[in-house]
Amino acid sequence: MSREATALRHELRDLVKAHVPDDFLGAFTADPADLATAQAFCRLLADRGMLCMSWPPEFGGRGSSVWEQTVVREEMWAHHEPRGAQYMGVNWVGPTLMRHGTPEQQRTHLPPIARGEVIWCQGFSEPEAGSDLASLRTSATRDGDGWRINGQKIWTSYATMAQWCFLLARTTRGEKKQHGLTIFLVPMSDPAITVRPIGAMLGPHHLNEVFFDDLRVTEADVLGAVDDGWSIVQDVLAFERVGIARYARCERLLQLAPSALGERWSELPAELRGRWARMLTHCRRARLLAYRLVALQASGQVKPTDAAAYRIAVTRLDQESAEVLMEIVAEIPAAADDTAEVFVAEVEDHWRYSQASTVSSGSIEMQRILLSRSLLAAR
Amino acid sequence: MIIDLSEEAAEFGRQALRAFEAAGGDGLVQRAEVDPSSREALVGPVLAELGAWDLEPRADTDSLEAAAALCRSAGYWALPYPVAERLSRPGDLDVDGLVVVASDRPLATLAGLDLRWAAATLDGRRHRVTGTSAGGPAFRSRLELSPLDTDGVADVALALVLPCWTLLGMLDRAMELTISHVRLRQQFGQPLSAFQSVQFQLTDAEVERTGLDMLAKYTLWSVGEGRDEALDDALALRMAALEAAEVVFRVTHQLHGAVGFCDETTLSWLSRYSQPLRRLPLGLSATRDLLTSRLDRHGLVGLYGAEREVAQ
Repeated sequence: MSREATALRHELRDLVKAHVPDDFLGAFTADPADLATAQAFCRLLADRGMLCMSWPPEFGGRGSSVWEQTVVREEMWAHHEPRGAQYMGVNWVGPTLMRHGTPEQQRTHLPPIARGEVIWCQGFSEPEAGSDLASLRTSATRDGDGWRINGQKIWTSYATMAQWCFLLARTTRGEKKQHGLTIFLVPMSDPAITVRPIGAMLGPHHLNEVFFDDLRVTEADVLGAVDDGWSIVQDVLAFERVGIARYARCERLLQLAPSALGERWSELPAELRGRWARMLTHCRRARLLAYRLVALQASGQVKPTDAAAYRIAVTRLDQESAEVLMEIVAEIPAAADDTAEVFVAEVEDHWRYSQASTVSSGSIEMQRILLSRSLLAAR
Repeated sequence: MIIDLSEEAAEFGRQALRAFEAAGGDGLVQRAEVDPSSREALVGPVLAELGAWDLEPRADTDSLEAAAALCRSAGYWALPYPVAERLSRPGDLDVDGLVVVASDRPLATLAGLDLRWAAATLDGRRHRVTGTSAGGPAFRSRLELSPLDTDGVADVALALVLPCWTLLGMLDRAMELTISHVRLRQQFGQPLSAFQSVQFQLTDAEVERTGLDMLAKYTLWSVGEGRDEALDDALALRMAALEAAEVVFRVTHQLHGAVGFCDETTLSWLSRYSQPLRRLPLGLSATRDLLTSRLDRHGLVGLYGAEREVAQ
């Protein structure tokens, strides 16, 4: 890490400390104040030119290094992502629009993302198309000079609060299912769209169903070429190759544990403290695997298979560290102080969220398939 | 920190792989097992020709990285020679190498070698090795020690780290052999590699091997920089290396089937000769206990520890 990246880390920590409450567990709780905190924090970052610092200068960014972007990912995730859903707009919606959008689409969508004023959701997964995304059934059919969209999406995070959807739909049926898919940029305010929240242990707003009932869109809402949506999906995945810096939250919580337990720490079973030390080592391992990926990304050499070992290691770390932390907080006395209570809430949230880590954004099975393909390829 | 070894070190490692192959490859350990006193004659000349003993891993970073690459290549061929231990020699003692020993069990794989050794315990007590018992399995022998001083704390980290690079080379080879095996071996009319259960076991092992590779480079950097926490880092690496070895050898043996236990396969030799590296000076639980006790409440240095990695 450069000195600039280290300075950025300190600046971000200071901002979090000053503007995010200690008991913040993300923007998407039942308490509207948490969303307000995230919105204010995004405006703060935007005002300081820190929200889209990875973007190139011609789109209002700073063209920051991949290592500075890594620091942002780490610090935000470690502190329960105080940017709320904005990370999606910043990390992949914006960059994809820069690469594939028309000048008009860029003028319409990039400035609100850069100001942290708009929430996007991703309309990919369907009831019958999860890991096998290309099997999706939502259809867009020609209708005069536009399209009519019908179908259903599921697991769509933030759909209840999103203003726009990055929607993948089938426009042509061909021999190969990856062909004939198209990306549409659709406004969630359209009455032809219905969102139904799905109650879940991750909290409200994380999981939703989205129904499209004769949604009318125009040619101007198509991103890239008709029937070429799969190549844009590959770009989206490439922008998110490193993904969430899960190891950062794991490490932060593990390192906080001794102070949260106070004197009780030294009375913990030796076996449990051994598992704590093991998890800290695994945090380091996952972080180094992420850094290898970032270095490859910086040199433009990163391939989907390169990310697979890291993804497997970091999602397992997420779950195993959550299990160790749950055992540690079980040792906190009932009459604990506020700091310990906040720590318990953080750990419980971490455990619930970690259960999804091997499922969301590409299941661990898909990562294993990718990695084994790469291992077994002819050498 | 370092993400990769320098290109020079990596090239040195490749040269060493070729040189060990030319000197006998897998046959070296088999010949040395029959006659441990031949270890020096079998391997010494090729190491000398490579310039192994010109390396000064305690003195400069280039040497340190080259030493790590050399140990990895030695592990790949299960080279019947304590390369890592010789490269760990302390700068202030007139000896040929250093082994780390448990204070109550001075054991090392020195059988059949006529060299001048020092031994250090994990708390830094140094000894001169005055004798070795007759060799046991995998060249293991009991050491007779004569106390020297208590100045060895700084010597121990490197002497723990370089053998982890040897073990990493063994894991590289075990994976390579197993991937070849499952691509060739046919059952139920198709190669083993076509079964997803086989593929997924391979990925479990590969995640361990790749993760160890990254930790080994990080720890090499920490030791080379002489960082205060270098011994903690070395113990964390050793713990991860032992865990990785458990997974990789379990998977690679399983996927080889019965033939993997036979001496006609290289895996049988690799697996057997990984054992002393894994149990000496401390096994997995004892390594984890020592690391845990050293970490106390402050944890490992990292993003959120008491002391963060400073910008380099």
